[in-house]
Amino acid sequence: MEGGRAVLALHLGVLGLLGALQFLLPPFHHGMVARIMVLAAYAIGYNLLLGYTGLMSLGHATFFAAGMYGAGLTIQHWGFGVAAGFLVGVVGALAAAFVVGVVTLRTVGPAFLIVTLMLAQAFYLATLYFNEITLGEQGFALAGLNVTLGDWRLDLARPAVKYNAALAVLAVCLLGSLALVRSPLGRALVALRENEERTQLLGYNTYRLRLVAVLASGLTSGLAGVTYTLLFGYVGSTFAGVLYSIYPLLWTLLGGAGTTLGPLIGTLLMTYAVDVASGITDAYLIVVGAVLVAAVLWAPAGVVGGIRTRWARWLP
Amino acid sequence: MAAVTPILETRAIVKRFGGLEAVSGVDFRLARGEVRALIGPNGAGKTTLVGLISGRLSPTAGRVLFAGRDVTGLGPWDRVGIGIVYTFQITSVYRRLSVRDNVLLAAQRRHLRRLADWVMLDRQRLTHEVDAALESVGLADLADRPAAVLAYGHQRLLEIAMALALEPALLILDEPTQGLAMGEIDALCRLVRNIAERATVLLIEHNIAVVLELAGRITVMDHGRVIAEGAPREIETHPEVQRAYLGRRSRSTP
Repeated sequence: MEGGRAVLALHLGVLGLLGALQFLLPPFHHGMVARIMVLAAYAIGYNLLLGYTGLMSLGHATFFAAGMYGAGLTIQHWGFGVAAGFLVGVVGALAAAFVVGVVTLRTVGPAFLIVTLMLAQAFYLATLYFNEITLGEQGFALAGLNVTLGDWRLDLARPAVKYNAALAVLAVCLLGSLALVRSPLGRALVALRENEERTQLLGYNTYRLRLVAVLASGLTSGLAGVTYTLLFGYVGSTFAGVLYSIYPLLWTLLGGAGTTLGPLIGTLLMTYAVDVASGITDAYLIVVGAVLVAAVLWAPAGVVGGIRTRWARWLP
Repeated sequence: MAAVTPILETRAIVKRFGGLEAVSGVDFRLARGEVRALIGPNGAGKTTLVGLISGRLSPTAGRVLFAGRDVTGLGPWDRVGIGIVYTFQITSVYRRLSVRDNVLLAAQRRHLRRLADWVMLDRQRLTHEVDAALESVGLADLADRPAAVLAYGHQRLLEIAMALALEPALLILDEPTQGLAMGEIDALCRLVRNIAERATVLLIEHNIAVVLELAGRITVMDHGRVIAEGAPREIETHPEVQRAYLGRRSRSTP
């Protein structure tokens, strides 16, 4: 593709901009953007399924929370280190994605949505049921997390470490999703989104493709969940709840489903909108709902999707 | 007759939809390299039969053999992999993708053998293959347009370009001339004759002129059964065929 270099430069530029921002932002926004970058990685994972495969899930909190609990519980109860906890979280998210993928293999449209919602609800209730170890809604904090590499010790509580670790995870997810959507696999997933029967008759096993898409999406979302836990030191049922399944949908729709940069833009806009709204009213969820309705009605392509349609057809 | 393995064979194949038996125990054989037309009145079961062959539908009973191998249990994707390629009766291109990307999806499939291929393929070789397929159907100039803006006749040609990029051993064309203008039909006939040099062709067609021009043999279906089979001359005078066609005139019979 001719625009290949420009596209890569654009993505690297966005990441570079986020890297430079850490020296300019006041402390509150510094922390806020760090959080947004992790949540954007979650949205990027969600977008792999919604935007590039055409499957709308209402249960992605399961993957985020599987990563979160996988890391958090093993660190808290078994004294795992950060690296080991990280690994358990990622594997846990992948296992959850495998189960969801297999169960929903032959469901499409509303059925897929409902089954993912039900499975996520079951997972959420499980986190409440086992409250002796999870502490349910209240959750638990992880303190004093740090990574040691030889003599070199990184204290994850330091803002600069948080920010750059979040940026690194976002970079991996963003560039990974860019590479995926431009690969033969990514093209096949888009084909599946556009017309499943046609894709079968071009020789693609669409069931296997869907499973791969759910695994990639769940893995990315889980990676975000693990990162969130390790950087912000908290594990709780809220992150397994339905709101955290709706958020990535909203972020993705707002920014532009089926665009690589859309989830990041959507997360950024929405998180700040919620922050401003919650300063004014306790009923900030109304803002979430209103944005969702407005996005679906007037801007179905989202911010980046709209830009692509109008000005920049080359955007991936 | 010499025991040459046919490229395709169905044995007592049956497809029921609820109470309707669309295909009733059809034994169908296709020799390698031939161009066969499948004709019959609307609702005769032609599209259902090729659906069973391509794997879009699974049979209620009976078997499908391809080059002597039982493929009844294979999914449509695996059948494409061994060379059974189907082009849709109602054009089914990816409307929002470019013409080039439509063909690219077909062309890349054959090269996806190892896991690493799904990540990266030789871009140049693929582009070359896509260009060749577009060239052969005369769509090279429209390569970068979205498929949705193509005229109907061009969308049909795109379908065929996608099929060609899959390098079929058996190409099933489901009413390829439907909705085409006269000049386009001539071009399509030339194209099919070209394809027939490399592949076996099974053609569902209502346009009898096209059938007589292209097909070496003709199979006639009615009410889910094969009622006649033979060279065009034999079919024209076959009493069963006359009855089937005189009873219910087919759309494009001249």
